Amino acid sequence: MKVAKIKVKDNIEKTVLSFLRETIDKKLFDAILIPMMVPAGDSYAWVLAQDKSLLDGAYYLPPIMSVQGAKALSSVTKGGKVNKRVAAIMRPCEIRAAIELSKLNQIELENIFLISMDCPGALPLKDWLKDPKRGVDVFKKVIQHFVDEEPKPDKSVRPACAICHRFSDSDAVDLHIGILGTEGEDILFIPHSTQAEAIFAELGLSLNENLSRWQKGVDEVLKQRKKKRAQVQEELKSTVVGFDKLLDTFSNCINCHICQSVCPICYCRQCYFDSDKVKHPPDDYLMRAESKGNISLLPDKILFHLGRMSHMALSCVGCGACEDACPMSIKVAQIFSLIADRSQGLFNYIAGKSIEEPLPMRVYEDDEFHEVESP
Amino acid sequence: MKDEFKPRIIGFLCNWCSYAGADLAGTSRLQYPPSLLPIRVMCSSRVDPLFVISAFLRGADAVLIAGCHPGDCHYQEGNYYARRRFACVRKVFETLGMESDRLRLSWISASEGPRFANVITEYTEKIKKMGPNPAKKNIFL
Repeated sequence: MKVAKIKVKDNIEKTVLSFLRETIDKKLFDAILIPMMVPAGDSYAWVLAQDKSLLDGAYYLPPIMSVQGAKALSSVTKGGKVNKRVAAIMRPCEIRAAIELSKLNQIELENIFLISMDCPGALPLKDWLKDPKRGVDVFKKVIQHFVDEEPKPDKSVRPACAICHRFSDSDAVDLHIGILGTEGEDILFIPHSTQAEAIFAELGLSLNENLSRWQKGVDEVLKQRKKKRAQVQEELKSTVVGFDKLLDTFSNCINCHICQSVCPICYCRQCYFDSDKVKHPPDDYLMRAESKGNISLLPDKILFHLGRMSHMALSCVGCGACEDACPMSIKVAQIFSLIADRSQGLFNYIAGKSIEEPLPMRVYEDDEFHEVESP
Repeated sequence: MKDEFKPRIIGFLCNWCSYAGADLAGTSRLQYPPSLLPIRVMCSSRVDPLFVISAFLRGADAVLIAGCHPGDCHYQEGNYYARRRFACVRKVFETLGMESDRLRLSWISASEGPRFANVITEYTEKIKKMGPNPAKKNIFL
Protein backbone atom coordinates (compact mmCIF):
# COMPACT_ATOMS: atom_id res chain seq x y z
CA MET A 1 0.00 0.00 0.00
CA LYS A 2 1.20 3.49 -0.79
CA VAL A 3 0.81 6.44 1.49
CA ALA A 4 1.58 10.12 1.58
CA LYS A 5 3.97 11.21 4.29
CA ILE A 6 3.79 14.76 5.54
CA LYS A 7 6.37 16.27 7.89
CA VAL A 8 4.87 17.60 11.09
CA LYS A 9 5.06 21.37 11.45
CA ASP A 10 4.61 22.64 15.03
CA ASN A 11 2.42 19.74 16.06
CA ILE A 12 0.30 16.94 14.63
CA GLU A 13 -2.96 18.79 15.24
CA LYS A 14 -1.88 21.87 13.26
CA THR A 15 -0.45 19.82 10.43
CA VAL A 16 -3.66 17.85 9.96
CA LEU A 17 -5.67 21.07 10.08
CA SER A 18 -3.53 22.70 7.43
CA PHE A 19 -4.14 19.65 5.23
CA LEU A 20 -7.89 20.05 5.78
CA ARG A 21 -7.69 23.78 5.11
CA GLU A 22 -6.07 23.06 1.79
CA THR A 23 -8.85 20.67 0.78
CA ILE A 24 -11.40 23.41 1.44
CA ASP A 25 -9.20 25.96 -0.31
CA LYS A 26 -9.02 23.80 -3.42
CA LYS A 27 -12.80 23.26 -3.18
CA LEU A 28 -12.43 19.52 -2.81
CA PHE A 29 -15.04 19.61 -0.05
CA ASP A 30 -17.89 22.00 0.62
CA ALA A 31 -17.80 21.43 4.34
CA ILE A 32 -15.91 19.55 7.01
CA LEU A 33 -17.58 17.96 10.01
CA ILE A 34 -15.08 18.33 12.81
CA PRO A 35 -15.01 18.94 16.58
CA MET A 36 -14.31 22.51 17.62
CA MET A 37 -13.47 23.96 21.00
CA VAL A 38 -16.42 25.88 22.42
CA PRO A 39 -15.81 29.58 23.24
CA ALA A 40 -15.72 28.84 26.97
CA GLY A 41 -12.77 26.57 26.29
CA ASP A 42 -14.06 23.69 28.38
CA SER A 43 -15.56 21.38 25.78
CA TYR A 44 -15.74 20.47 22.12
CA ALA A 45 -18.74 20.57 19.83
CA TRP A 46 -19.24 19.22 16.32
CA VAL A 47 -19.32 21.90 13.65
CA LEU A 48 -19.91 21.80 9.95
CA ALA A 49 -17.15 24.17 8.86
CA GLN A 50 -17.62 25.56 5.37
CA ASP A 51 -14.95 28.21 5.52
CA LYS A 52 -11.28 27.55 6.11
CA SER A 53 -11.01 30.37 8.63
CA LEU A 54 -13.60 28.55 10.70
CA LEU A 55 -11.20 25.69 11.11
CA ASP A 56 -9.03 27.70 13.48
CA GLY A 57 -10.54 26.39 16.68
CA ALA A 58 -11.05 22.89 15.29
CA TYR A 59 -9.43 19.76 16.68
CA TYR A 60 -9.28 16.63 14.59
CA LEU A 61 -8.64 14.60 17.74
CA PRO A 62 -10.08 16.34 20.81
CA PRO A 63 -9.15 15.12 24.31
CA ILE A 64 -12.73 14.13 25.08
CA MET A 65 -15.67 12.63 23.25
CA SER A 66 -18.48 14.94 24.29
CA VAL A 67 -20.93 13.92 21.56
CA GLN A 68 -20.49 10.72 19.59
CA GLY A 69 -19.62 11.82 16.05
CA ALA A 70 -22.01 9.39 14.39
CA LYS A 71 -24.88 11.21 16.09
CA ALA A 72 -23.67 14.46 14.59
CA LEU A 73 -23.36 12.89 11.16
CA SER A 74 -26.78 11.31 11.49
CA SER A 75 -28.38 14.68 12.16
CA VAL A 76 -26.94 15.96 8.88
CA THR A 77 -27.74 12.96 6.71
CA LYS A 78 -30.71 11.07 8.10
CA GLY A 79 -33.02 12.87 5.66
CA GLY A 80 -31.14 11.26 2.78
CA LYS A 81 -28.25 12.15 0.54
CA VAL A 82 -26.67 15.54 1.17
CA ASN A 83 -26.07 17.66 -1.90
CA LYS A 84 -22.72 18.88 -0.70
CA ARG A 85 -19.42 17.11 -0.49
CA VAL A 86 -18.81 16.73 3.21
CA ALA A 87 -15.70 15.34 4.85
CA ALA A 88 -16.33 13.89 8.30
CA ILE A 89 -13.29 13.43 10.49
CA MET A 90 -14.04 11.10 13.35
CA ARG A 91 -12.50 8.61 15.76
CA PRO A 92 -12.56 4.99 14.55
CA CYS A 93 -15.39 4.11 16.97
CA GLU A 94 -17.41 7.02 15.63
CA ILE A 95 -16.77 5.80 12.09
CA ARG A 96 -17.93 2.32 13.07
CA ALA A 97 -21.08 3.76 14.61
CA ALA A 98 -21.66 5.73 11.40
CA ILE A 99 -21.32 2.57 9.30
CA GLU A 100 -23.66 0.72 11.61
CA LEU A 101 -26.18 3.58 11.46
CA SER A 102 -26.00 3.65 7.69
CA LYS A 103 -27.01 -0.01 7.70
CA LEU A 104 -29.86 0.96 10.01
CA ASN A 105 -30.89 3.69 7.56
CA GLN A 106 -30.06 6.53 9.91
CA ILE A 107 -27.11 7.84 7.94
CA GLU A 108 -26.69 8.22 4.20
CA LEU A 109 -23.03 7.97 3.32
CA GLU A 110 -23.23 9.12 -0.26
CA ASN A 111 -21.21 12.31 -0.74
CA ILE A 112 -19.68 11.80 2.69
CA PHE A 113 -15.93 11.40 2.77
CA LEU A 114 -14.92 9.56 5.93
CA ILE A 115 -11.60 10.30 7.58
CA SER A 116 -10.37 8.35 10.59
CA MET A 117 -7.17 8.40 12.59
CA ASP A 118 -5.11 6.29 14.95
CA CYS A 119 -6.90 7.01 18.19
CA PRO A 120 -5.14 6.89 21.55
CA GLY A 121 -8.50 7.13 23.33
CA ALA A 122 -10.29 9.96 25.07
CA LEU A 123 -10.16 11.30 28.60
CA PRO A 124 -13.06 10.51 30.95
CA LEU A 125 -15.51 13.43 31.01
CA LYS A 126 -15.49 13.42 34.80
CA ASP A 127 -11.71 13.90 34.96
CA TRP A 128 -11.82 16.47 32.21
CA LEU A 129 -14.44 18.63 33.92
CA LYS A 130 -12.33 18.95 37.07
CA ASP A 131 -9.76 20.95 35.13
CA PRO A 132 -10.05 21.25 31.35
CA LYS A 133 -6.78 23.17 31.01
CA ARG A 134 -4.88 20.42 32.76
CA GLY A 135 -6.81 17.93 30.63
CA VAL A 136 -5.31 19.43 27.49
CA ASP A 137 -1.81 18.82 28.84
CA VAL A 138 -2.68 15.33 30.04
CA PHE A 139 -3.95 14.49 26.57
CA LYS A 140 -0.75 15.78 24.97
CA LYS A 141 1.13 13.25 27.08
CA VAL A 142 -1.33 10.54 26.05
CA ILE A 143 -0.56 11.23 22.40
CA GLN A 144 3.16 11.33 23.06
CA HIS A 145 3.07 7.92 24.72
CA PHE A 146 0.90 6.64 21.89
CA VAL A 147 3.10 7.70 18.98
CA ASP A 148 6.35 6.72 20.67
CA GLU A 149 8.47 4.17 18.90
CA GLU A 150 7.77 1.96 21.89
CA PRO A 151 4.20 2.95 22.72
CA LYS A 152 3.18 2.91 26.35
CA PRO A 153 -0.39 2.45 27.58
CA ASP A 154 -1.64 5.56 29.35
CA LYS A 155 -3.78 5.26 32.47
CA SER A 156 -5.56 8.56 31.96
CA VAL A 157 -7.80 7.42 29.08
CA ARG A 158 -11.30 6.11 29.60
CA PRO A 159 -11.63 2.45 30.59
CA ALA A 160 -13.48 1.71 27.34
CA CYS A 161 -10.57 3.22 25.38
CA ALA A 162 -7.94 1.34 27.35
CA ILE A 163 -9.46 -1.95 26.17
CA CYS A 164 -10.24 -0.81 22.62
CA HIS A 165 -8.52 -2.99 20.05
CA ARG A 166 -10.04 -1.27 17.03
CA PHE A 167 -8.24 2.04 17.54
CA SER A 168 -6.80 1.95 14.03
CA ASP A 169 -9.49 0.13 12.06
CA SER A 170 -9.85 1.78 8.72
CA ASP A 171 -11.60 -0.70 6.42
CA ALA A 172 -14.61 1.48 5.79
CA VAL A 173 -13.03 4.93 5.52
CA ASP A 174 -11.81 6.94 2.55
CA LEU A 175 -8.73 8.24 4.28
CA HIS A 176 -6.90 7.18 7.41
CA ILE A 177 -4.47 9.38 9.30
CA GLY A 178 -1.64 7.32 10.76
CA ILE A 179 0.36 8.74 13.62
CA LEU A 180 1.56 5.58 15.35
CA GLY A 181 5.22 4.72 15.43
CA THR A 182 6.24 8.11 14.04
CA GLU A 183 7.49 9.73 17.24
CA GLY A 184 5.30 12.68 16.26
CA GLU A 185 7.63 13.62 13.42
CA ASP A 186 5.50 12.62 10.46
CA ILE A 187 1.89 12.00 9.60
CA LEU A 188 0.87 9.27 7.21
CA PHE A 189 -2.14 9.89 5.03
CA ILE A 190 -3.34 6.48 3.97
CA PRO A 191 -5.86 6.45 1.09
CA HIS A 192 -8.52 3.75 1.05
CA SER A 193 -10.60 4.86 -1.91
CA THR A 194 -10.05 6.16 -5.42
CA GLN A 195 -11.63 9.39 -4.28
CA ALA A 196 -8.91 9.80 -1.68
CA GLU A 197 -6.25 9.14 -4.30
CA ALA A 198 -7.82 11.74 -6.57
CA ILE A 199 -7.66 14.24 -3.73
CA PHE A 200 -4.01 13.44 -3.17
CA ALA A 201 -3.31 14.06 -6.85
CA GLU A 202 -5.20 17.35 -6.66
CA LEU A 203 -3.13 18.44 -3.68
CA GLY A 204 0.08 17.28 -5.34
CA LEU A 205 0.90 14.73 -2.64
CA SER A 206 3.10 11.94 -3.87
CA LEU A 207 2.44 8.40 -2.81
CA ASN A 208 5.54 6.46 -2.05
CA GLU A 209 6.25 5.89 1.60
CA ASN A 210 6.25 2.39 2.99
CA LEU A 211 4.24 1.61 6.06
CA SER A 212 6.53 -0.60 8.10
CA ARG A 213 7.22 1.85 10.94
CA TRP A 214 3.55 2.66 11.36
CA GLN A 215 2.54 -1.00 11.13
CA LYS A 216 5.00 -1.82 13.89
CA GLY A 217 3.42 0.82 16.11
CA VAL A 218 -0.06 -0.45 15.34
CA ASP A 219 0.92 -4.04 16.11
CA GLU A 220 2.51 -3.07 19.40
CA VAL A 221 -0.49 -1.08 20.63
CA LEU A 222 -2.81 -3.82 19.40
CA LYS A 223 -0.90 -6.36 21.46
CA GLN A 224 -1.15 -4.20 24.58
CA ARG A 225 -4.83 -3.40 24.12
CA LYS A 226 -5.79 -7.01 23.45
CA LYS A 227 -3.98 -8.11 26.58
CA LYS A 228 -5.69 -5.42 28.64
CA ARG A 229 -9.07 -6.32 27.12
CA ALA A 230 -8.70 -9.96 28.05
CA GLN A 231 -7.60 -9.02 31.55
CA VAL A 232 -10.49 -6.60 32.13
CA GLN A 233 -13.05 -9.05 30.79
CA GLU A 234 -11.65 -11.77 33.01
CA GLU A 235 -11.96 -9.49 36.04
CA LEU A 236 -15.49 -8.59 35.01
CA LYS A 237 -16.44 -12.23 35.13
CA SER A 238 -15.76 -12.32 38.85
CA THR A 239 -17.67 -9.10 39.58
CA VAL A 240 -20.58 -9.17 37.14
CA VAL A 241 -21.29 -12.73 36.07
CA GLY A 242 -24.04 -14.45 38.03
CA PHE A 243 -27.53 -13.11 38.63
CA ASP A 244 -26.81 -11.76 42.12
CA LYS A 245 -23.60 -10.10 41.05
CA LEU A 246 -25.35 -8.60 38.07
CA LEU A 247 -27.91 -7.06 40.40
CA ASP A 248 -25.11 -5.75 42.61
CA THR A 249 -23.43 -4.17 39.61
CA PHE A 250 -26.52 -2.27 38.62
CA SER A 251 -27.75 -1.69 42.17
CA ASN A 252 -26.76 1.96 42.17
CA CYS A 253 -28.29 2.70 38.78
CA ILE A 254 -30.52 5.76 39.16
CA ASN A 255 -32.73 5.00 36.17
CA CYS A 256 -31.73 8.14 34.30
CA HIS A 257 -31.37 6.28 30.95
CA ILE A 258 -28.49 8.53 29.98
CA CYS A 259 -26.56 5.47 28.70
CA GLN A 260 -29.36 5.03 26.20
CA SER A 261 -29.64 8.65 25.14
CA VAL A 262 -25.91 9.07 24.45
CA CYS A 263 -25.61 5.73 22.63
CA PRO A 264 -25.11 6.37 18.92
CA ILE A 265 -26.72 3.08 18.00
CA CYS A 266 -29.87 3.56 20.10
CA TYR A 267 -31.58 5.59 17.42
CA CYS A 268 -35.26 4.72 17.84
CA ARG A 269 -37.35 7.87 18.02
CA GLN A 270 -39.58 6.27 20.56
CA CYS A 271 -37.94 3.78 22.83
CA TYR A 272 -39.99 1.10 24.50
CA PHE A 273 -38.45 2.13 27.79
CA ASP A 274 -39.65 5.71 27.43
CA SER A 275 -43.12 4.63 26.40
CA ASP A 276 -46.24 4.26 28.49
CA LYS A 277 -45.73 0.51 28.17
CA VAL A 278 -43.33 0.52 31.11
CA LYS A 279 -45.45 2.86 33.21
CA HIS A 280 -47.63 0.27 34.83
CA PRO A 281 -50.78 1.14 36.73
CA PRO A 282 -50.26 1.51 40.50
CA ASP A 283 -52.24 -1.65 41.14
CA ASP A 284 -49.68 -3.61 39.20
CA TYR A 285 -46.90 -2.54 41.57
CA LEU A 286 -49.02 -3.30 44.60
CA MET A 287 -49.75 -6.73 43.17
CA ARG A 288 -46.07 -7.40 42.54
CA ALA A 289 -45.24 -6.20 46.06
CA GLU A 290 -47.82 -8.57 47.44
CA SER A 291 -46.50 -11.59 45.61
CA LYS A 292 -42.87 -10.87 46.49
CA GLY A 293 -43.48 -9.40 49.91
CA ASN A 294 -41.57 -6.34 48.81
CA ILE A 295 -40.70 -4.35 45.72
CA SER A 296 -38.18 -1.64 44.99
CA LEU A 297 -39.32 1.44 43.10
CA LEU A 298 -38.89 2.44 40.38
CA PRO A 299 -38.91 -1.13 39.15
CA ASP A 300 -37.69 -2.62 35.86
CA LYS A 301 -34.15 -1.29 36.21
CA ILE A 302 -32.56 -4.60 35.28
CA LEU A 303 -35.12 -5.09 32.52
CA PHE A 304 -33.85 -1.86 31.00
CA HIS A 305 -30.21 -2.92 31.08
CA LEU A 306 -30.79 -6.49 29.94
CA GLY A 307 -33.15 -5.21 27.27
CA ARG A 308 -30.61 -2.73 26.01
CA MET A 309 -27.93 -5.41 26.00
CA SER A 310 -29.97 -7.82 23.95
CA HIS A 311 -31.13 -5.10 21.57
CA MET A 312 -27.82 -3.34 21.07
CA ALA A 313 -25.11 -5.95 21.58
CA LEU A 314 -24.94 -6.90 17.91
CA SER A 315 -24.36 -3.31 16.87
CA CYS A 316 -22.29 -2.10 19.82
CA VAL A 317 -19.13 -0.45 18.52
CA GLY A 318 -17.54 -0.10 21.96
CA CYS A 319 -17.26 3.70 21.89
CA GLY A 320 -17.76 3.94 25.66
CA ALA A 321 -20.14 6.90 25.51
CA CYS A 322 -22.55 5.12 27.87
CA GLU A 323 -19.99 4.61 30.59
CA ASP A 324 -18.57 8.10 30.14
CA ALA A 325 -21.99 9.62 30.70
CA CYS A 326 -23.12 7.40 33.58
CA PRO A 327 -23.42 9.61 36.68
CA MET A 328 -22.99 6.58 38.92
CA SER A 329 -19.86 5.29 37.19
CA ILE A 330 -21.35 1.90 36.41
CA LYS A 331 -19.07 -0.10 34.12
CA VAL A 332 -21.68 -0.18 31.36
CA ALA A 333 -19.30 -0.06 28.42
CA GLN A 334 -17.02 -2.73 29.85
CA ILE A 335 -19.95 -5.06 30.41
CA PHE A 336 -21.16 -4.26 26.92
CA SER A 337 -17.72 -5.14 25.54
CA LEU A 338 -18.10 -8.61 26.96
CA ILE A 339 -21.66 -9.09 25.70
CA ALA A 340 -20.85 -7.57 22.30
CA ASP A 341 -17.78 -9.75 21.75
CA ARG A 342 -19.75 -12.89 22.55
CA SER A 343 -22.90 -12.13 20.62
CA GLN A 344 -21.22 -10.63 17.58
CA GLY A 345 -18.96 -13.66 17.67
CA LEU A 346 -22.01 -15.89 17.16
CA PHE A 347 -22.43 -14.42 13.69
CA ASN A 348 -18.76 -13.68 12.93
CA TYR A 349 -19.85 -10.10 12.74
CA ILE A 350 -17.94 -6.99 13.75
CA ALA A 351 -20.18 -3.97 14.21
CA GLY A 352 -19.30 -1.15 11.87
CA LYS A 353 -16.34 -2.90 10.29
CA SER A 354 -17.60 -2.96 6.75
CA ILE A 355 -20.52 -1.53 4.91
CA GLU A 356 -21.00 -4.73 2.90
CA GLU A 357 -21.46 -7.08 5.86
CA PRO A 358 -25.23 -7.31 6.45
CA LEU A 359 -26.68 -6.84 9.94
CA PRO A 360 -26.95 -10.32 11.51
CA MET A 361 -30.67 -9.91 12.12
CA ARG A 362 -31.36 -9.12 8.47
CA VAL A 363 -30.09 -12.41 7.09
CA TYR A 364 -30.19 -16.09 8.01
CA GLU A 365 -29.07 -19.47 6.88
CA ASP A 366 -31.23 -22.58 6.67
CA ASP A 367 -28.77 -24.71 8.51
CA GLU A 368 -27.46 -22.99 11.62
CA PHE A 369 -27.76 -22.65 15.41
CA HIS A 370 -29.15 -26.14 15.91
CA GLU A 371 -27.51 -26.08 19.34
CA VAL A 372 -30.10 -23.58 20.61
CA GLU A 373 -33.05 -25.65 19.42
CA SER A 374 -34.50 -28.18 21.81
CA PRO A 375 -35.94 -31.28 20.20
CA MET B 1 -47.82 -31.51 49.31
CA LYS B 2 -48.57 -27.83 49.78
CA ASP B 3 -44.94 -26.77 49.33
CA GLU B 4 -44.31 -28.71 46.18
CA PHE B 5 -42.76 -26.49 43.54
CA LYS B 6 -44.96 -26.11 40.49
CA PRO B 7 -43.07 -24.42 37.68
CA ARG B 8 -44.70 -21.60 35.77
CA ILE B 9 -43.65 -21.56 32.15
CA ILE B 10 -44.53 -18.71 29.84
CA GLY B 11 -44.97 -20.04 26.31
CA PHE B 12 -44.93 -17.87 23.23
CA LEU B 13 -46.67 -20.04 20.65
CA CYS B 14 -46.89 -19.16 17.00
CA ASN B 15 -50.43 -18.89 15.71
CA TRP B 16 -50.01 -21.16 12.71
CA CYS B 17 -48.15 -24.18 14.08
CA SER B 18 -47.44 -24.44 17.77
CA TYR B 19 -50.66 -22.89 19.02
CA ALA B 20 -52.58 -25.24 16.75
CA GLY B 21 -50.39 -28.06 18.03
CA ALA B 22 -51.39 -27.13 21.58
CA ASP B 23 -55.00 -27.08 20.47
CA LEU B 24 -54.64 -30.52 18.99
CA ALA B 25 -53.12 -31.81 22.23
CA GLY B 26 -56.18 -30.45 24.00
CA THR B 27 -58.80 -31.81 21.63
CA SER B 28 -56.99 -35.15 21.65
CA ARG B 29 -57.36 -35.07 25.45
CA LEU B 30 -53.66 -35.63 26.00
CA GLN B 31 -52.44 -35.27 29.56
CA TYR B 32 -49.65 -32.84 30.35
CA PRO B 33 -48.80 -30.70 33.42
CA PRO B 34 -50.75 -27.46 33.81
CA SER B 35 -47.53 -25.45 34.01
CA LEU B 36 -47.70 -23.61 30.72
CA LEU B 37 -49.18 -20.16 30.36
CA PRO B 38 -49.56 -19.86 26.60
CA ILE B 39 -49.40 -16.54 24.81
CA ARG B 40 -50.34 -16.61 21.17
CA VAL B 41 -48.15 -14.62 18.80
CA MET B 42 -48.59 -14.40 15.06
CA CYS B 43 -45.06 -15.67 14.44
CA SER B 44 -42.15 -16.82 16.58
CA SER B 45 -40.20 -13.90 15.15
CA ARG B 46 -42.68 -11.55 16.83
CA VAL B 47 -41.05 -12.42 20.13
CA ASP B 48 -38.77 -9.55 21.06
CA PRO B 49 -35.93 -10.37 23.47
CA LEU B 50 -37.69 -8.01 25.86
CA PHE B 51 -40.70 -10.34 26.11
CA VAL B 52 -38.39 -13.09 27.23
CA ILE B 53 -36.42 -10.98 29.68
CA SER B 54 -39.55 -9.36 31.02
CA ALA B 55 -41.21 -12.73 31.67
CA PHE B 56 -38.05 -13.99 33.32
CA LEU B 57 -37.62 -10.97 35.58
CA ARG B 58 -41.29 -10.95 36.51
CA GLY B 59 -40.83 -14.41 37.92
CA ALA B 60 -41.52 -16.94 35.18
CA ASP B 61 -39.57 -20.10 35.96
CA ALA B 62 -38.96 -20.65 32.28
CA VAL B 63 -39.79 -19.18 28.90
CA LEU B 64 -40.64 -21.33 25.90
CA ILE B 65 -40.74 -20.05 22.36
CA ALA B 66 -42.36 -22.42 19.90
CA GLY B 67 -42.91 -22.00 16.19
CA CYS B 68 -43.22 -23.82 12.89
CA HIS B 69 -40.39 -26.12 11.86
CA PRO B 70 -37.67 -24.39 9.81
CA GLY B 71 -38.87 -24.26 6.23
CA ASP B 72 -42.52 -24.40 7.26
CA CYS B 73 -42.99 -20.84 8.47
CA HIS B 74 -46.34 -19.36 7.47
CA TYR B 75 -44.42 -16.20 6.58
CA GLN B 76 -41.68 -18.16 4.78
CA GLU B 77 -38.72 -17.12 6.93
CA GLY B 78 -39.90 -15.75 10.28
CA ASN B 79 -38.69 -18.71 12.33
CA TYR B 80 -35.17 -18.43 10.92
CA TYR B 81 -34.98 -14.89 12.30
CA ALA B 82 -36.54 -16.07 15.54
CA ARG B 83 -33.76 -18.63 15.87
CA ARG B 84 -31.10 -15.97 15.39
CA ARG B 85 -32.72 -13.70 17.94
CA PHE B 86 -33.07 -16.55 20.37
CA ALA B 87 -29.42 -17.52 19.96
CA CYS B 88 -28.53 -13.94 20.76
CA VAL B 89 -30.64 -13.54 23.88
CA ARG B 90 -29.44 -16.94 25.09
CA LYS B 91 -25.87 -15.76 24.61
CA VAL B 92 -26.58 -12.67 26.71
CA PHE B 93 -27.96 -14.90 29.47
CA GLU B 94 -24.97 -17.24 29.26
CA THR B 95 -22.45 -14.44 29.27
CA LEU B 96 -23.99 -12.90 32.36
CA GLY B 97 -24.08 -16.24 34.14
CA MET B 98 -27.86 -16.45 34.17
CA GLU B 99 -29.49 -19.83 33.74
CA SER B 100 -29.94 -20.02 30.00
CA ASP B 101 -31.62 -23.42 30.37
CA ARG B 102 -34.67 -21.52 31.54
CA LEU B 103 -35.09 -20.40 27.94
CA ARG B 104 -36.14 -22.89 25.33
CA LEU B 105 -36.84 -22.84 21.62
CA SER B 106 -38.76 -25.74 20.10
CA TRP B 107 -40.40 -26.36 16.77
CA ILE B 108 -43.88 -27.85 17.05
CA SER B 109 -46.13 -28.19 14.02
CA ALA B 110 -49.92 -28.04 13.95
CA SER B 111 -50.14 -31.81 13.62
CA GLU B 112 -47.81 -32.57 16.51
CA GLY B 113 -50.25 -32.63 19.42
CA PRO B 114 -48.45 -35.51 21.18
CA ARG B 115 -45.13 -33.78 20.66
CA PHE B 116 -46.51 -30.63 22.25
CA ALA B 117 -47.63 -32.61 25.29
CA ASN B 118 -44.20 -34.26 25.44
CA VAL B 119 -42.30 -30.98 25.24
CA ILE B 120 -44.34 -29.48 28.07
CA THR B 121 -44.04 -32.59 30.24
CA GLU B 122 -40.33 -32.93 29.70
CA TYR B 123 -39.57 -29.24 30.15
CA THR B 124 -41.69 -29.00 33.28
CA GLU B 125 -39.73 -31.91 34.78
CA LYS B 126 -36.46 -30.22 33.93
CA ILE B 127 -37.49 -26.91 35.48
CA LYS B 128 -38.77 -28.73 38.54
CA LYS B 129 -35.28 -30.10 39.03
CA MET B 130 -33.76 -26.64 38.54
CA GLY B 131 -36.02 -25.11 41.17
CA PRO B 132 -37.74 -21.73 41.21
CA ASN B 133 -36.42 -18.77 39.27
CA PRO B 134 -34.12 -16.80 41.60
CA ALA B 135 -35.52 -13.55 40.18
CA LYS B 136 -38.90 -14.38 41.68
CA LYS B 137 -38.00 -13.36 45.19
CA ASN B 138 -35.48 -10.66 44.40
CA ILE B 139 -36.89 -7.22 45.00
CA PHE B 140 -34.07 -5.09 43.62
CA LEU B 141 -34.82 -5.59 39.99
